[in-house]
Amino acid sequence: MNNSVLPSATQAASDLAIDARLLTKVYSSRISRRRVRAVDGISLQVAAGITFGLLGPNGAGKTTFVKMLLSAVRPTSGSVCLFGRDANDASARRPVGYLPENHRFPTYLTGSGMLDFYGALSGMESSARRRRIPELLALTGLDNWGSVRIGKYSKGMLQRLGLAQALMHQPSLLILDEPTDGVDPVGRRQIREILTELERRGVTIFINSHQLAEVELFCREVAILERGRLALSGAVKDLTVGKGFKLTAVRVPDPVRAQLNESATAVWSSDGVVGFQFADRAAVNRAIDLLRAATCEIQSLEPAASTLEDVFVRTIHG
Amino acid sequence: MDRQERITLLALIADTFREALARKIFWGLFGLSTLIILFFLFLMKIDVAQGALATLSLFGQTSGRQVDAARLVRQFQAGIATFLYTWGMFLSAFASAGLVPSVLEPGRIELLISKPVARWKILLGRYAGNVLLIGLNAAYLVLGVWLILGAKTGIWITGFLWTIASTTFVFAVLLSVVLLIGVLFESAALAIMVTAGLMILSPLLAQTRLMDRLLSSGWTRWLWTAFYNCLPKIYDLGHMTLDVVQGNPAWNWFAVWSSALFAILMLGLGMVVFARRDY
Repeated sequence: MNNSVLPSATQAASDLAIDARLLTKVYSSRISRRRVRAVDGISLQVAAGITFGLLGPNGAGKTTFVKMLLSAVRPTSGSVCLFGRDANDASARRPVGYLPENHRFPTYLTGSGMLDFYGALSGMESSARRRRIPELLALTGLDNWGSVRIGKYSKGMLQRLGLAQALMHQPSLLILDEPTDGVDPVGRRQIREILTELERRGVTIFINSHQLAEVELFCREVAILERGRLALSGAVKDLTVGKGFKLTAVRVPDPVRAQLNESATAVWSSDGVVGFQFADRAAVNRAIDLLRAATCEIQSLEPAASTLEDVFVRTIHG
Repeated sequence: MDRQERITLLALIADTFREALARKIFWGLFGLSTLIILFFLFLMKIDVAQGALATLSLFGQTSGRQVDAARLVRQFQAGIATFLYTWGMFLSAFASAGLVPSVLEPGRIELLISKPVARWKILLGRYAGNVLLIGLNAAYLVLGVWLILGAKTGIWITGFLWTIASTTFVFAVLLSVVLLIGVLFESAALAIMVTAGLMILSPLLAQTRLMDRLLSSGWTRWLWTAFYNCLPKIYDLGHMTLDVVQGNPAWNWFAVWSSALFAILMLGLGMVVFARRDY
């Protein structure tokens, strides 16, 4: 990867890349007078330079929230600042690169033409655009596709071109809506590598995604939305700290196993290794005493960790 | 307007041209103009005798009688101006109607709005690109015909060149309606219907003196006059251009400024609606 192509964070106006306060969006039907609170009083702060994941089931208000960050949707109440500037001010979006979810890039443009157009809309000089386009096409693996009309691109290629478009003007904040949607595993890895390098350079990355495993792998902080409200937010490492301990042992006699089954929260076995999960330290210590008394060999002992998926399901379904 | 704003505006104008090219609108309009120019270039022959009298040949057939060359040129030019004002305008509005809703398509508009460009500028760039496209086409056709007729007859009537400005102006007025309808309803079909409606209504509304006599009640006369005053005066502007082409300039400034005001209002309203809408 040619790292010199990637932007570095230069925005220092505020420590917060995103500062949303009591953001609310109510959609009203003119005919039925029905009102839907798509986003309901969300306050969310994203520090500059971190990778942040926005999660939530369908209809949780994620897309509306992202659109309010970009002023595509006007909040009913509340405010959004990007690097300390009101998001309604067009110039506040200058340091922002955005990749929408269901994008529809103009199919009459070539890959290079599209990058040139969106680069110009970001205020880039033509000489800078000419220099940057081949660099970004190479970075996203599209170097042989620049002169091809994007109507001929596959979904994964469009996604990579979309990412190149978002990086065109060297943004300090990247807002990516399902960035790896439709991308093959190799391309997904490539995108992850690009994003990891961007994070290293201090670029704030805000990802709206359904790919929980990817968000867990990549984001340092997450927020989970449910029915328009902020259900949970925090650092991934704190949220995924599980309760209890995992213990594995070999040569566990059946009576001991039966006895441990009663106190364990989960039991599994594979190739003669039996695993137990215990809810607390006292329970795992009692189990160790029992196993050692029965001359069983303890193979491993570690704190149990939840996956982000566990956290997500627990948050949404209680 | 600072340098970055100029870059943005130029990009939006260029994008309108690229989309018009891709949709074959550009080639369609320029192809039609080229056909007309080729007709004057190859199929129509004018022999000017004694500097003023001419015989006309079409498709190799000579008319036989001699006509005043200047009058003949003016008649041709008036024909082109009439064509531009009627079919030309309708074709242009028809061709351009899709260029506004296409920008508002979901998946495209969010990305445009996310750029550091005020919304009204996005719309203005699209509008300016469209007007420029049709203006260039009008200039190509009018200049082409003017040069050919001038070269063939030696008669150079500059009044005909006003047709470029006046047709571009009328198109700009009509496009403001297309733009407003496009922003409000995101429907190219409705935009065409309303524009065609305005074009059909205009010659009817312009008969104010006749209607003054025909309409019996005061309020219907008032309503007719109000409609005439408020709506763009496409018929009057066309009439004015024909007068100029035929060498009898009778400037109707009321038609010019009231139509311009109408366009500014439509454009402003379109920008306000666009600025407030959620995408």
